[in-house]
Amino acid sequence: MNRLRGLAHEGVIALLLAGVMGYAAWAEPGFAAASTQLELATHAFELALLALPMTFIIIAGGIDLSVGSTMALSAVVLGLLHRAGVPVAVGMLAAVIVGGAAGAVNGWFVSRARIHPLIVTLSTMALYRGLAEGISLGRPVSGFPEGFQQVAAGSIANVPTPVVMLIVAAVIAWLVLSRGVAGLWVYTIGGNEMAARYCGVPVERVQRWLYTASGLAAGWAGVMFAARRNTAKADIGAGIELEVITAVVLGGVSIFGGRGTILGTVLGVALIHELREFVSWHWSRDELILVVIGVILVASVLLNNLASRRRG
Amino acid sequence: MRGARASLAGGATGGRARATLLVLLLLAVVAGVSAVNPAFLAWGNLGELLARSAPVIIVGCGMTFVVLTGEIDISVGSLLGLLAALMGVLASPQHLGWPTAAVAAATLAAGAAAGLINGLLVTVGRVPSIIATLAMLTILRGGTEFVMAGRWITDLPPGLRELGTGRWLGVPWCLWAAGGVAGLSLLVARRTAAGLKVYAVGGSEEAATLARVSVGRVKLAAFTMTGLLTGVAALVSVPQQSVVESGIGVGFELVVVTAVVVGGTAIRGGTGGIVGTVAAALLLGSIRTALVFLDLGEAATYWERAIQGAFILAAVLADHVAAARRPGPARAIGAMP
Repeated sequence: MNRLRGLAHEGVIALLLAGVMGYAAWAEPGFAAASTQLELATHAFELALLALPMTFIIIAGGIDLSVGSTMALSAVVLGLLHRAGVPVAVGMLAAVIVGGAAGAVNGWFVSRARIHPLIVTLSTMALYRGLAEGISLGRPVSGFPEGFQQVAAGSIANVPTPVVMLIVAAVIAWLVLSRGVAGLWVYTIGGNEMAARYCGVPVERVQRWLYTASGLAAGWAGVMFAARRNTAKADIGAGIELEVITAVVLGGVSIFGGRGTILGTVLGVALIHELREFVSWHWSRDELILVVIGVILVASVLLNNLASRRRG
Repeated sequence: MRGARASLAGGATGGRARATLLVLLLLAVVAGVSAVNPAFLAWGNLGELLARSAPVIIVGCGMTFVVLTGEIDISVGSLLGLLAALMGVLASPQHLGWPTAAVAAATLAAGAAAGLINGLLVTVGRVPSIIATLAMLTILRGGTEFVMAGRWITDLPPGLRELGTGRWLGVPWCLWAAGGVAGLSLLVARRTAAGLKVYAVGGSEEAATLARVSVGRVKLAAFTMTGLLTGVAALVSVPQQSVVESGIGVGFELVVVTAVVVGGTAIRGGTGGIVGTVAAALLLGSIRTALVFLDLGEAATYWERAIQGAFILAAVLADHVAAARRPGPARAIGAMP
């Protein structure tokens, strides 16, 4: 039943997405062309990558507000190591490890100290951003080597590398969430944490891993951001956490936990991404797109409520 | 009603220990910094410190009520931005050129209306408050950017600027507003039936309903009040600068929520209060000034946010340690804000 209701929501989002793309193909054939779409898809890399672990976390009844700050901290670590003469590959590894460590700290506070995730990640959101500002003294680092920039600019069989990474990450996330016992644990914890404990679900271990994974993804997102823009600064990724949560909830993941799918999140991310890119392509003024996204978000939850009330 | 009173008693004691701790910490910071650099105690500096915290205190009072009822409002930063744009467009002689009183009335009305919409979405629409206000955050920010269209408004009339830069009895208007709002909120929270209802709803919605408290109406009032107070904050803070641009208020919601949480109001509602929020707002606001006056060099100011973040985590952890020592469950399970 839960699964059916979830899919109904995804159907609505898919229809909306089809409508947007249909209109786009009619109004701007150049925009809908496959090559353009592949190029534009790289713009959504951070949003899409962060949305995958966020889906797990919200289904498990949590939230992670610190992902944007973790992104900045990782990128700044990479930049400072590069300026200190450390090889870029080592810097990338260090950046991802820093991201994972930041996530593990969140996981510890949530799972061991059992403090509400909203409070934990609100605090670390300030802390990680502050550390990024502190160690970089607010100054940007740029001038990364050509080879590093190719990490974000390269392509595999004419598909941009970031898009390949996203596809691989989404498939792995889908397999883990819907095909294994780990996914079942995540849904069970989100459905009823106490019941999950009594059922022998390793609640603390799962929570620790979820936040660590979110941190690792944020670390990699920071690296990719630095590679694409060829700059690392403490203010990158500001506000992206709210965008990610919007995409995930739009995709039908319940903020109370226990419900949602990777397919829904992919559709939610795609809808936000396509709306934004199309409007700025077509009208070259994109302020109102924020209004549209907000209205769709609230309308999707309202419609869901209405539908579930009718079913009783 | 007994349930409501019991939860009020629990709420008041839960918040009071934290409030006392924060006031002591604030005094320690002031004493420590002024021992190193007596200029910190100069009236001008303290006034500036207070003035910077004023918007956080004003909106924080409304947010305290919202969080006490078990909800949250993350749209206040975007609302502040939209109200700033509205004030700019209405007041600037180049645009509409309204008189100051009309601009003030329109700002307050628009703030209250936005709060009312939040409240209706949460109570009538049954949208979780974090989602409803996240959507409003996005919508209002988009509205602001649409209104401003990348322009800056630089010709605020002197009458309006007076609200930001003027003084009465030597004290800036924003401090009168912050003091008044905090005093009234404290009165409402501790001495009125409305305050009792807020704690009752946060303590247990079922018990409150049984005691014939209209849960929806209490929440609606809390959200509308927060919107109205965001209007007040906009009136006394926006005209402090001579320029209105579309970036005003970005991230403000997180500062306000942080002040409320550090102030000891439980995110699940029912416990906490105004004194903690005000003390936390002042403490968080004083860190930057303290760093400047400790004369640690220019680099020190870049660590402001890291120190704030560490501070918040420490406060949260202290709660955890205290809760672990108390008998009974460490926290309720299954309830989300």
